[in-house]
Amino acid sequence: MEAGIDMKIPNIYEGDYRRCAIIPIIMIVISLFFIPQIKEGVDFRGGTLITLQLNGTVDESALKANLENEGIKDPSVKTYKNPLGNVLEVEITQEESLVRAEKLKSDFFERVDDVSRLESDAARSDDPAVKEKYSKARDELNAMADELFGIAGVGAKASEVEGTNELRKMMSDAYRKANDDYKKKLTSAMDKYVSYSSISFEAVSASLSAKFLEKAITVVIISIIFSITLIFIVFRLFIPSIAVLTGAVCDVTIALGAMGLFGIPLTLASFAALLLLIGYSLDTDVLLTTRVIKRREGTTRERAYDSMLTGITMSTAAIVAFVSLLAVALLTHIPIYYEISSVVVAGLIGDIFATWGINAVIVLWYMEGKETPEQKTKFTSVFKR
Amino acid sequence: MANVIFDILRDKRIILLAVVIIGALALTYFHGLKFGIDFSGGIRIPVLLEKAVDGTTMDEMVRTIGVRAAAFGLTEVKVRAIGSDEIYVEVPASDPKLVSDIEELLSKQGVFTGVVDGKSALRGDDIFTGTIVSRPSQSIQSGADWEVDFSVTKDGAERFSSAAKGKANYPIYLFLDRPGDSIMLISKEDLKHDLLTYRGGALSDDEVRRIAENALKLEDDNITLYLLGDANVSSLEPKTNRTRAIISKNTTADVKSALKEKGFILLEKEEAEMMPKFSINSAQPSMSSIDKWEAVGLLSAPRLSAGVTEGIPNYGYSITGAAEGEGTEKTLNAQKDAKEIESILKGGALPVQISIGSTTIIPAPLGEQFLYMSAVGALIALCAVGALVAIRYRTLKAVVPIIIISICEAIILVSVVGFFTIDLGAMAGIIGSMGVSVDAQIVITDELLKSGEAKVKLKKAFSIVITTATVAIVAMLPLLLFSGLVAIIGFATSTILGAFLGIAVSRPAYGAIAEKIFKEEEKAEPQHPRAQK
Repeated sequence: MEAGIDMKIPNIYEGDYRRCAIIPIIMIVISLFFIPQIKEGVDFRGGTLITLQLNGTVDESALKANLENEGIKDPSVKTYKNPLGNVLEVEITQEESLVRAEKLKSDFFERVDDVSRLESDAARSDDPAVKEKYSKARDELNAMADELFGIAGVGAKASEVEGTNELRKMMSDAYRKANDDYKKKLTSAMDKYVSYSSISFEAVSASLSAKFLEKAITVVIISIIFSITLIFIVFRLFIPSIAVLTGAVCDVTIALGAMGLFGIPLTLASFAALLLLIGYSLDTDVLLTTRVIKRREGTTRERAYDSMLTGITMSTAAIVAFVSLLAVALLTHIPIYYEISSVVVAGLIGDIFATWGINAVIVLWYMEGKETPEQKTKFTSVFKR
Repeated sequence: MANVIFDILRDKRIILLAVVIIGALALTYFHGLKFGIDFSGGIRIPVLLEKAVDGTTMDEMVRTIGVRAAAFGLTEVKVRAIGSDEIYVEVPASDPKLVSDIEELLSKQGVFTGVVDGKSALRGDDIFTGTIVSRPSQSIQSGADWEVDFSVTKDGAERFSSAAKGKANYPIYLFLDRPGDSIMLISKEDLKHDLLTYRGGALSDDEVRRIAENALKLEDDNITLYLLGDANVSSLEPKTNRTRAIISKNTTADVKSALKEKGFILLEKEEAEMMPKFSINSAQPSMSSIDKWEAVGLLSAPRLSAGVTEGIPNYGYSITGAAEGEGTEKTLNAQKDAKEIESILKGGALPVQISIGSTTIIPAPLGEQFLYMSAVGALIALCAVGALVAIRYRTLKAVVPIIIISICEAIILVSVVGFFTIDLGAMAGIIGSMGVSVDAQIVITDELLKSGEAKVKLKKAFSIVITTATVAIVAMLPLLLFSGLVAIIGFATSTILGAFLGIAVSRPAYGAIAEKIFKEEEKAEPQHPRAQK
């Protein structure tokens, strides 16, 4: 067993191990440059994604121009092959009027039950104050309704509608009509230029994307709190814990950089993959730190090197599995596969460099500081206070 | 060597693994693997609730959507709750028209009608929807267990007072989406099913029929009742070209085709929906009525109290009732009953605002392709990981057990996740887990290859494995517990389960194998504990 792969990789921690940090630092700098270029997917940005199974082929740039002529603002057009033939994907940003319609509808329905009670009071009472109260509240509802009717192109006036029950129905219908008309407009534009066998719409409304974003942020925060707490419980030492967490942060940074560089959009799937990466990257970080700090066999550098061999094997096994998934993704064009596998593969490659370049350097520096008497006083003071 | 294998097979930890695998395979054998529509093909429409709701409300919503889908003539629609603020409506067919049908169904309200002795007494439009509230139990005076109050418009008050005049103690039949222009064909068994367990004096067939017809009559839109066997199907004539015939799904094909031939539109109902629930008045059989008959949308039939039958228009009404059970059960039942009445009066409106999420349509052949490719991908992942381990350790003693354990883990993972649903996310997690599941084995093998006593080394290895896996699981857990993001729950579940199986099942099993194999080696070659050659 001494033969084989072990012999081929020299112990990178012999000599000045600080140079190990050079490559990961460069990777992180490059990543920081690319992170702002990450595209948000439909999940987080809101908008409509139309997927068509084509009968033939389509010219992307000509279609884009045609769609723009049809009054569809800034469509992004993409084609690829799947087992059933060619697929066309058209992504359209959120239509402002529909965002407004959604807001009007939800405001209306939040208010309408109250107004209905006022209406009932007004119907049963002769007190002008009660009637006045209803008509005031009703005017507010009417304003919302009229605006939505305008958006939906319904030729109705809310003030001419007798009761709130009727108005309620008209609001539902108008909202539906606004959405249907928009869908019809898109479908008929597609019909005109593209021959397809099936069409599907993925529409994420503004409120839905906001909800996704809110939940995603909650999950990230909880996950970070959990991880930090657990790491401190496991190590009970400041510097090693910081080292472990630094490794994870660098790893996620590199994965984000890769997303910017390769145009992997931020969607629910790639977001899940990023969280998964935190878990995987802590995995190897913990392995390294435990072996170097808690063990006593050999020198610290030998222990770090030993852990590296184990850790790289672990990471490679995970990379190999996710590369298989990536291969399936490239053949089937299943977006969720592609988004998960590409982020995980990029992150795990980043993890190898971040853990064994940055985390290892911090841990070694910490341990060797403890071992040499004159350095000991200098460094222990950092975490003793 | 044979001794070692025998030793290994007798180890408790290996027996445990074997038991778990047999359990997993049995689960799959009896229950089958469930695949999401991504793989089986079909339509999925996510219904998003404006806010999270409790279990009771969620059940009510799922039931309401299901009932309304059935009333809409959509068969095979599956409605299921996902977490506390999302509902999936799924249809195993990929006709895009179904999408608009379901969207319409969800966005439109049902039509409520209240009928007293064949006269329309209350319409959905008559009720101020905002005033429909169930009264808290403490403030109910009448001695009832629950009470729902509502106010009506002037028209409504007049309609009700004239319909209810002189009808004290009559039932008011509350319908949701009562099918108009219809006839009903029912077997005597279905019609009288509820009476089989009734202990008071037997009702004659004619009386039962009269009670049923009372519930079905409405001014000029009676639902005419025909008993199967009595009625000659060929003598029936549809009133219009849209006349529907309400029949049980179990009706013979002959009758169904005869009705179709005659020009009826068939409205097929589940057998349970066809069976009316009776409320028998043994003292005054003529006052007996039907309480519930889902096939026609009759959902409740409270009785009119004398106070509302004097013919004087009244703006506020309340419906009260008794609940079954004792103590907390009674309170819960009362809440449920009140909610049900509220929902009927509101025209089947759902208790919280909903919006429709992004619809997924997967043609069946595409789903099959996806499944096939994914299965191949998983297999490739397994082989590639095996190859990696082989290159790293170059000894069958390490490679064979690692691969066998990985396969075992994959079997358990697929069975467990497949018990719920394997969707794209879950499949991605399963494929990824092929790489992560070997982590524990790698750490253990590396540790055992060092010099020292096997038991001590194993202990050290386990402490690392448990820490790393715990950390990984904890970091991912919030995704499962707090996100409620349905699209990735499958992924979160399968990765966490994969990591968990790694430490809970395969770690001890692999430990048992490795311990024995490497111990054997130490005995055989005491001088070179680390080397194989």
